[in-house]
Amino acid sequence: MTEQDPLAGQPEAKGPEASAEKPVRHGPPIVVAEEQLNERGEQTAEQLARTLGALALDAAGRDDTPWARVDASQLHRAAEKCRDGEMGMDMLNLMLAVDWVDRIQMIYVLYSTTNNRKAILKADLPAEAPKISSVTDLWEAGSWYEREAHDLFGVEFPGNSDMSPLLLYEGFEGHPGLKSYPLNDYEEW
Amino acid sequence: MSTGPQFDSVDMMLNMGPQHPATHGVFRMVLTVDGERVVDVTPHIGYLHRGTERLAEVESYGQVITLFDRVDYISNLNNELAFVRAGEKIMEVDAPERAQYIRVILAELNRVASHLLFIGTYAIDLGAMTPVMYCFRERERIENLFEHVTGARMMHNYMRIGGVKSDVPDDFVPWVHRLIGDVRKGVEETDKLLSTNEVFLGRTRGVGIIDGPMAVSCGLSGPSLRGSGIAYDVRKDDPYEIYPYLNYKVPVGENGDCWDRYYLRVLECYESLSMIEQCLNQLPDGPIMAAGRRIARPPAGEVFSHSENPRGDLGVYLISDGSDKPYRVKIRPPSFCNLIGLRPMTIGSYIADAVAILGSLDIVLGEVDR
Repeated sequence: MTEQDPLAGQPEAKGPEASAEKPVRHGPPIVVAEEQLNERGEQTAEQLARTLGALALDAAGRDDTPWARVDASQLHRAAEKCRDGEMGMDMLNLMLAVDWVDRIQMIYVLYSTTNNRKAILKADLPAEAPKISSVTDLWEAGSWYEREAHDLFGVEFPGNSDMSPLLLYEGFEGHPGLKSYPLNDYEEW
Repeated sequence: MSTGPQFDSVDMMLNMGPQHPATHGVFRMVLTVDGERVVDVTPHIGYLHRGTERLAEVESYGQVITLFDRVDYISNLNNELAFVRAGEKIMEVDAPERAQYIRVILAELNRVASHLLFIGTYAIDLGAMTPVMYCFRERERIENLFEHVTGARMMHNYMRIGGVKSDVPDDFVPWVHRLIGDVRKGVEETDKLLSTNEVFLGRTRGVGIIDGPMAVSCGLSGPSLRGSGIAYDVRKDDPYEIYPYLNYKVPVGENGDCWDRYYLRVLECYESLSMIEQCLNQLPDGPIMAAGRRIARPPAGEVFSHSENPRGDLGVYLISDGSDKPYRVKIRPPSFCNLIGLRPMTIGSYIADAVAILGSLDIVLGEVDR
């Protein structure tokens, strides 16, 4: 291996001060993609902005899927508005947690079977003791996604009554989805 | 109620799986039963958890394709297609038209193969031994074609971000034409034998009913959702590849019971076969790989792309940090979401029907657990 990827493989300490000591990346400079919505996406973005109002902290999107970032404490309210308002987001298509080392981001992909539109809600949680209210009361699908995020990322979901391990076994230590969890890479011997 | 002395009754717990022939893999459910009726069901998954999503973070984009082969090991090519489409979106490349046609032909063939496996094993679940012989015979023909084209029967690693690995062999078109004729005959045979069989109807009609709103709330997709009367198909609602150029119908059920979910898959086999025929007649000449760098380093950003897998809406959420490896890959596994619907379907049914209901969801545990 000629190039070491600092983000992969080796365990990293958590917290912003540790990430500042990350080794410098070699190789070509990183290009950031330009996010652009198409016509259909613009319409959905308008609907989303109308629905969320002041709840949206910032918003953008790509192709036909706009996203809006909301405060973690307001996520349940925002999700409820998306479901019951004009957007009619009746399906929680996908929910995932992303470990950005200094924070955990929750991403909710919502889909409306009546209007055939997609939209994404995002919420940032602190890396230490991440916690966000459950959306199980809005969509049944939330229950398993939340148990999965609890297993792999250690996110707590107050409001979800059953938080027993889903993918991992009882008594498993640690959260294997986190970047800090050691993952044994190939090595020469 | 009896008029004799009254006894207290307690619900009994009944464990089913993880080693059980009707659970299609290592799946365990704990049934709480009151006599023959199921009062509650608790599914337990995770026996096959391999950490695919975490593993994808230390593999380069090209290597992740092999992981997707192993996510849903019944419909490998559909899974590859889902990932390479997400990769193409984040790398901002388009596959040439010929490559798109080849990918759709193979993906639809794999859909038929997957549905045939479902029909055969579902018949076994319900006590019919013959259909599985017919179905595996036809599935074997398709696997032989895959071996001829990709070099492997199951773990193909054939699709690439920006195209396909290699062009199809010269005898591909006549071979597939012949294959379609054979497979269609086989599907018709099985359809006639099983679909309107009195015993089969008795086991599946009106069993495991789930209504539309509940199915949507559980996140069901594919034939499991369409059985409840919701016409959601990614190929129609969010068209990709060359699907807009094809003429096909998406069959939708009415009752949301096991028979509807089963029969939609039979109808989808016919539709897929007719789609492949259209593709073969339209198959253009040209390159099979997008021009550009061989080792790709996408710009930092995130995309969500989804496609229609035999089991439903297979989504891939891909986050790139600008390096040659994905920062996060999240799979939306259709079987996982379909399994959430098991509880509302099963409560109130008989114990024996629990097998019929689980079978009708057509789960693949590799995908549920990842």
